[in-house]
Amino acid sequence: MAEQTLAPGTPVEEMKPAAVVEVKLTRRSRVEKWAFLIPALLFQLSWGWYPLVVAFLLSMTDARPRGPISWTGFQSYSRVWADPLVGSAFRVTIIYAALSIVLTFLIPIIVAILLMEMKPRVMRWMMILWFLPLSGVASTIMWRYVYNQDFGFLQWIAMDVLGLERQGFLASADQVLFWLIFPGILMFGPGLIYMAGLQSIPQSYYEAAEIEGAGLWRKIWTISLPRIRPIIVMMLTFAIIGSLQVFDWPKLMTDGGPGGASRTVVMYMFDLLNSLRYSDATALAIFLFILIMAITITYRILFKEDPDS
Amino acid sequence: MSLFPKVGRNQPGLRVTWTLVVAVLCIGIFLHLIPFYFMIVTSLKTAPEIMRIPPTLLPENPTLAAWQLVFQVSAGSTILRQPLYQYFLNSCIMAFGTLALSLPITSFAAYANSKLQRGRGARWTFLFFIGTLMVPAAVTLIPTFLLTRNFPFPVPTVPNIPGTETPFPVIRTWNTAWAVIIPGVFSAFNFLLFKGFFDTIPNSIIQAARVDGGSEFNIFRRIVLPMSIPVFAVAAYLQFSGVWDSFMWPLLVIQDSTRSPMSVAIYNLINVFMSTGTMRPQASLATNEQIRQLQEAGLSWNGLVVLGILQTIPIFIMFIVSRNYLLKGVKIRGLK
Repeated sequence: MAEQTLAPGTPVEEMKPAAVVEVKLTRRSRVEKWAFLIPALLFQLSWGWYPLVVAFLLSMTDARPRGPISWTGFQSYSRVWADPLVGSAFRVTIIYAALSIVLTFLIPIIVAILLMEMKPRVMRWMMILWFLPLSGVASTIMWRYVYNQDFGFLQWIAMDVLGLERQGFLASADQVLFWLIFPGILMFGPGLIYMAGLQSIPQSYYEAAEIEGAGLWRKIWTISLPRIRPIIVMMLTFAIIGSLQVFDWPKLMTDGGPGGASRTVVMYMFDLLNSLRYSDATALAIFLFILIMAITITYRILFKEDPDS
Repeated sequence: MSLFPKVGRNQPGLRVTWTLVVAVLCIGIFLHLIPFYFMIVTSLKTAPEIMRIPPTLLPENPTLAAWQLVFQVSAGSTILRQPLYQYFLNSCIMAFGTLALSLPITSFAAYANSKLQRGRGARWTFLFFIGTLMVPAAVTLIPTFLLTRNFPFPVPTVPNIPGTETPFPVIRTWNTAWAVIIPGVFSAFNFLLFKGFFDTIPNSIIQAARVDGGSEFNIFRRIVLPMSIPVFAVAAYLQFSGVWDSFMWPLLVIQDSTRSPMSVAIYNLINVFMSTGTMRPQASLATNEQIRQLQEAGLSWNGLVVLGILQTIPIFIMFIVSRNYLLKGVKIRGLK
């Protein structure tokens, strides 16, 4: 790229970027480009986008395991809308999502910022220990034992150490959503991605800030966080999408109990699917989709401005 | 190494903050390690000790009984249809099958998108590839489920070819390992990882190789691939642990219980134990003679924890193998 020299006072309009060397691909390379792209394009089309289109079509039919299928318009939507269990499933899901994001979203960011302060050798070890993975199924087994009402670890703390009454934990409709949050914390968090983002911030920014007299918080607030902001926005999007369609934890730990107090939308969808009501299940999923899209779009509008752009 | 100034670390204020930071990290690590310790210790305890309040920190009579019992159950009994290693193998086929197809296909596409496409075409291809990250998997769950039955037709009954009595040819992956592998072949998140990484490779390197007459495939294989081992390690680790731990999807598409992966087999075992009251032997309603015998032999939560450990080991190994690459391989900058 050609170096551009600018006379002082050159108008901004004239500061064109250095000419990008246009890569002229040969014909063979163009063929190869498509050879690289086509398998992924096909898979993404047939197993990524096609099911989405099918979902909208399917929800307007009376699809059954056997027999002919006919269009029924919005019947399944109104059927799902009128179902009292759907309302409670949405309530449960939203409470769970809000709790889990409030309680767990910030932890990996803080941990990542703090870990980056350690000496490289120490950091490598601490990172391994922090992000040591535990299988989801294993985590469930462990937590079910910890939450056990008769001889679980938490019951012991509650009764013998804190002197509380006998707690219900997963068997108590008021508490179950709260206790379901914790198995997820153990999982390989997004902390690693934050750390990678922090690592790419040039040291000179911090040095400059130091000369200006910036303290610890000032550096975090004006350098670290703004620089990893796109990653935070992305991870928050995933966290919202993921926590609103939680299935594995409640299914493995409570199976929706007690009395539907932990039956999430996707679990109810699974129940509908098992009773072979395909179109109702899809309609329910589309309601969830609309909710997720509404939340995601609202918050992306709120956090639009990007310091790097 | 940047928040704390390099000079003047001995000022009392900074020293206190530094100590606090180290303390917070160490406490977090301690809390994080408790479950691992707890699982290992519980697997070595005897059944009566597990029911004790307060829980013992160290097993009083360390015993491998639970491990032996689990392997005894898993070596073929009426509780599990197949020996445990069969489920382990099923999981391996699914996880490594997905990796074998997914890593090349996704990385090729990301490379082409990053280095071979330009301008608007590249932008639209990129959006086409990552757009599904915004779509909750729950929405596409049922259509994908139906598609595994009769591939191009998302309906349970395949329509006939117009004018004939023969139905259209369909691809049926339902109830095989392919039903888990195929939908996971293109991973949008891995695409984002690969694309972010390839974007940081200077164009001049690739251009130089092109001038030397390398074909695009050779450039990828001989120049880009050796530079990109970290991102491959991260992508492989993420996808492996995702498939290994996936639970809902195999539960849905694999009906034949001899083909289900470890996660589903363990789920079924937990349900069997729970429903027969293993966890409360005093109130045991065990109908199954075999399970009652196992209970008397001392199987309880210790056995379940053994299963959990077995399920964790492969993910653990993948993590240890890829640990040095994890930080180097992630170079994504948001969804832009």
